Amino acid sequence: MPEPILSLRRLCQVFDGVAVINDLTMDIAKGEVFGFLGHNGAGKTTTIQMLTTLARPAAGTALVAGHDICTDPLAVRRAIGYVPENVRLYDSLTATENLLFFARLSGVPAPQRRVREVLDLLDCTYLAGRRLGGFSKGMRQRVGLAQAILHNPSVLFLDEPTSGLDPMGIRMLRDLILRLNAEFGMTIFMNTHLISEIAKTCTSIAVLSHGKLVFHDRIAAVTARYGDDTALEELYLSLTPVGRLQEVA
Amino acid sequence: MSDALLVPGPVRTLAAKDVRDALRDRFILIVTAFLGLAATVALVTGAIALRGDVATYEAAKATLLAIGKSADAIKAPEFYPLRLLRGAIEQIEIIGAAIAILIGYRSAASERGRQTLALIFTRPMRGWQFVAGKALAGLGLLAGGLGLVLGGLALVLHLMSGIGLTADDLLRIAVVWAVAVVYTACFFLLGFILTLHMKQPSHALLVAFAVWLVLVLIAPQIGDTLDPDNQVAGGVFKQLSIAKPDQVQIMKGFANYETLRDGIEQASVTKHFERLSFAVLGIKATYTGMPLGPILTQMLANLVWILLTALGLGALALALPLNPDRLAIA
Repeated sequence: MPEPILSLRRLCQVFDGVAVINDLTMDIAKGEVFGFLGHNGAGKTTTIQMLTTLARPAAGTALVAGHDICTDPLAVRRAIGYVPENVRLYDSLTATENLLFFARLSGVPAPQRRVREVLDLLDCTYLAGRRLGGFSKGMRQRVGLAQAILHNPSVLFLDEPTSGLDPMGIRMLRDLILRLNAEFGMTIFMNTHLISEIAKTCTSIAVLSHGKLVFHDRIAAVTARYGDDTALEELYLSLTPVGRLQEVA
Repeated sequence: MSDALLVPGPVRTLAAKDVRDALRDRFILIVTAFLGLAATVALVTGAIALRGDVATYEAAKATLLAIGKSADAIKAPEFYPLRLLRGAIEQIEIIGAAIAILIGYRSAASERGRQTLALIFTRPMRGWQFVAGKALAGLGLLAGGLGLVLGGLALVLHLMSGIGLTADDLLRIAVVWAVAVVYTACFFLLGFILTLHMKQPSHALLVAFAVWLVLVLIAPQIGDTLDPDNQVAGGVFKQLSIAKPDQVQIMKGFANYETLRDGIEQASVTKHFERLSFAVLGIKATYTGMPLGPILTQMLANLVWILLTALGLGALALALPLNPDRLAIA
């Protein structure tokens, strides 16, 4: 396996005495587009919260771009970009003002120039002077993605990025993710429910069920072993509680 | 750890964003205008009452002179322009504190739900920088709003009184403005801390207003109501013509009662603000005409109390760790 950019070691998280992430251990190689699958409440967002330093793990640790999330969170933050699910940003500010704010918080040199570059990169220069209050979900998602890449991060975390988007929005976002990965070498860590998107976008996948890692492999190996997208869906369902219930029935 | 992370760059960035965001919020502009209007109405009402006193005096004087008697027996109403600010100070005490809670609530609630807290906390900045940025923006907004209100009142006072305000008058208004900023900052921090840390921001607003009710309305009112001197115009002792040594002797019998009454008043930061500003502006008769320096010396305990309350709440805001599960609950 190539050099890992994310190394999770026995990562655990506990809420109200209940283990929501249990001994999560895996490596994700640099340059991967990684799809993290799991049922609602499986612990995908909790994992992202720990990897982005928003939450401290109850036990275990992880290295993100070589930095420990527990002992060096500031270095981790410099290396990552994050787009939460349903990000709204500041409605009263224009797209440029929103992006300038996050660029300055990230310590980006020449933030004005960088904001113009990123807007241009994401083909949304036309949104620059408009306040976000009137933006569609798709437009917001683009600005959300723009704020995450202003400082040129090594790893980009996307939590359910296609949630609420129409087919055109999903396609545009997929193209952007692939571009960021191909042109800038960004490693993408993406939580999603959409198996069809996993097949079209990801280079490796993992499945989380009740806080435990139940599957992790490269997508090429998965399709070679199980066949097409439909087989991927069958594989996912067999690993999740619903699938197991069907097996029992 | 990089030294660059300790410079206040993120603090200024966050504060500038918050101020810009708030100034584009119609609600903030409306409530500030409302405070200005309420304070102006209080000022004008005070002026009308004074004008009424003057008219009554003039009429009585004319009557006395008309019947060939001396007008020396009746005392001319005293005119201290700053005393007319009494109503405005009370509006700042009550409405200003409520507005500060709303600004503090907005400062935290506007970040939750939009998931922008998660974006801010995945930037290379420290927790204290976030709190400091928010507090700086809050102070800026309060200072600006109160500056506009008090500045506007000073102008109205200047035009109304016709005699113009002296440099000393303006200095006293500036002192009250500075103390009012710190006083309202206490309520800003209260609203901000509760909204940031409680599970539901709407519940935080209710709790903040419950505290406001106790500190701003109930505690000072209880203290005032329990003070027998406040129950009779001019004071009980004065009306009964009881000499000062006798007053002291009588009050010795009520020492415990007085300790309790004063304790309730002392617990309220509002009362400290009122005492200080009434003294500085000469609204309380004891301090009318007294130079500013000795007044501030006498009122130092009140000033310290207000500062300690603000600093204590600021320290609490810095010390409380953020719960990431609360970051996205609107």
